[in-house]
Amino acid sequence: MNATHDDAPLLTVEGLSKTFGGIKAVQDIDFQVNRGEVFGLIGPNGAGKTTCFNLITGFYTPTTGRVAFQGHDITGHSPYRIARRGLVRSFQKTNVLKPLTVFENVLAGHYLSARQSLLATFFPTAPVRRAEREARDNAARLVTLLDLGARMDTPAYRLSCGELRLLEVAVALAAQPTLLMLDEPAAGLNSQEAMRFGGILKRLRREQVPSIVIVEHNMSLVMDVSDRVMVMDFGRKLAEGKPAEVKNNPQVVEAYLGRARA
Amino acid sequence: MKFERNTLLVLGLIALAFPLLVGNQYLLHIGIMVLLYAVLATSLNLIVGYVGEFSLGHTAFLGLGAYTAALLSLRLGLPAWATIPLAGVVSALFGVVIGAITLRLRGPYFVIITLAFAEVLRLIANNWVDFTNGPMGLSGVAQPALLADASPLMAKRFYFYLALGLTAVSLYLAYRFVYSNNGRAAVTVRENRFVAQSVGIRPFVYAMRAFVLGAFLAGLAGGFYAHYITFVGANVFGFAFMVSMIIMVLIGGKGTLIGPLLGALLVTLLTEYLRELQELRLSLFGLIVMAVVLFLPNGLMGFLNHRRERGDRAAPDDSATRVQGGPA
Repeated sequence: MNATHDDAPLLTVEGLSKTFGGIKAVQDIDFQVNRGEVFGLIGPNGAGKTTCFNLITGFYTPTTGRVAFQGHDITGHSPYRIARRGLVRSFQKTNVLKPLTVFENVLAGHYLSARQSLLATFFPTAPVRRAEREARDNAARLVTLLDLGARMDTPAYRLSCGELRLLEVAVALAAQPTLLMLDEPAAGLNSQEAMRFGGILKRLRREQVPSIVIVEHNMSLVMDVSDRVMVMDFGRKLAEGKPAEVKNNPQVVEAYLGRARA
Repeated sequence: MKFERNTLLVLGLIALAFPLLVGNQYLLHIGIMVLLYAVLATSLNLIVGYVGEFSLGHTAFLGLGAYTAALLSLRLGLPAWATIPLAGVVSALFGVVIGAITLRLRGPYFVIITLAFAEVLRLIANNWVDFTNGPMGLSGVAQPALLADASPLMAKRFYFYLALGLTAVSLYLAYRFVYSNNGRAAVTVRENRFVAQSVGIRPFVYAMRAFVLGAFLAGLAGGFYAHYITFVGANVFGFAFMVSMIIMVLIGGKGTLIGPLLGALLVTLLTEYLRELQELRLSLFGLIVMAVVLFLPNGLMGFLNHRRERGDRAAPDDSATRVQGGPA
């Protein structure tokens, strides 16, 4: 890992805002994600969490504000350029390559590590062959790491919802992120599957990618895996802190449950 | 991957033996046309199957290749071994220009603009009389020098092996491309642009690479066509070639390497076999294509692969996969 910036935050978001016409989807959001941290982003439906994700990863251009990753300003960069810096995301609405097998999906995710010139494509040299072999080995390893080993050669369209979510994470991991951003990875999972998913996330953190940003509705999951959480409501930041602190914050309780009658 | 490679090698061996076993010029001519169409269908398949957009203007590259080879041969006296590769290069360069414009478009817009490019080139070929000889076309394109005193049968055999060489080169390039990181990136873009971008792929680049490779191969085929037929007219930009290529790719199965070959073989043979039926032939092809699109959307290869998959699974697997259901 990059030794010179070890203390500096990995991701810095300053004054991030996005308006769609008259709707202020995200207003003036500030937060930082440190190295080796799992950062949870929670809030009621329509709070602007996914918009925030899209702004950071380049799928939307911010109206105002600044995003910096590892000390580089990435505000408004194209998604593929941001991914090349090591900031890789998954999607809320499942996005995989449907007709391809699980293994092929994850192999496709290894694009950056197996990049080659057009000439080397037609006349492969030894390093190209090695990169290709490593990508294949690593793809098989990732599939197993995410408990999809039995589904290795199954086309993605045959997978269950829970398996699809895992596959999406595997594809994102294949791009070898420094920071992995997961948008509702447990959406559509039942509570048992979600618990299993939490276990896998912890394993990933130990073995694969230390820094994760996670948007999630499943409170027990997000509170369990996160080091810090930020709560959003109506496009604004409501609170930020350790899971236990945030859980008891009166504003947060109000956003989720409504105000207690006096 | 292995299955495709082995099938291709077997097909190649059969093709190598074909001219030695057959002493009939007519059959050899059909063999040559099958190979020519195999290259064309392979090149179109790179666009339809791997970029995922439907090009109706692929004849632009065939025609550019044919005119390039004919003009270089007639005006500069270049031999075939130089004109055919140059035909590919010129087509590829036009592929860069046309791709840079059309690949920004999706769906029907892409179809219409590619068609427009082919049509514009056809009009230029027909009307720029000083350069292309207009509707009279370019005749008398030189045959390779070593055929000067060969018998017609030997000449046919020579052309057959030349065409086989081109087909081998095309399939080698296509095979390498498809089974490399490039091909995977192109498929990723085709299947899901969001996933592609989020793993670091710049979508336009890979659509462009597949498009230009397709243009290059079609240009090679055009160059060969010019020398084999020895005449090039504006009809090389015409819709008839386009229709044949589309039928081949659709029947054989887009997005596979063997599919277009199978399509080229079937359609060329069927066209010859049904020659007596004249116009009715085209109506028949229309019906066949409709049936394929309705019942075998992934062509014959898609059908065979599906069968193979099922066969593999039928024996040892549990009922779990069946419960999950088929494609949505």
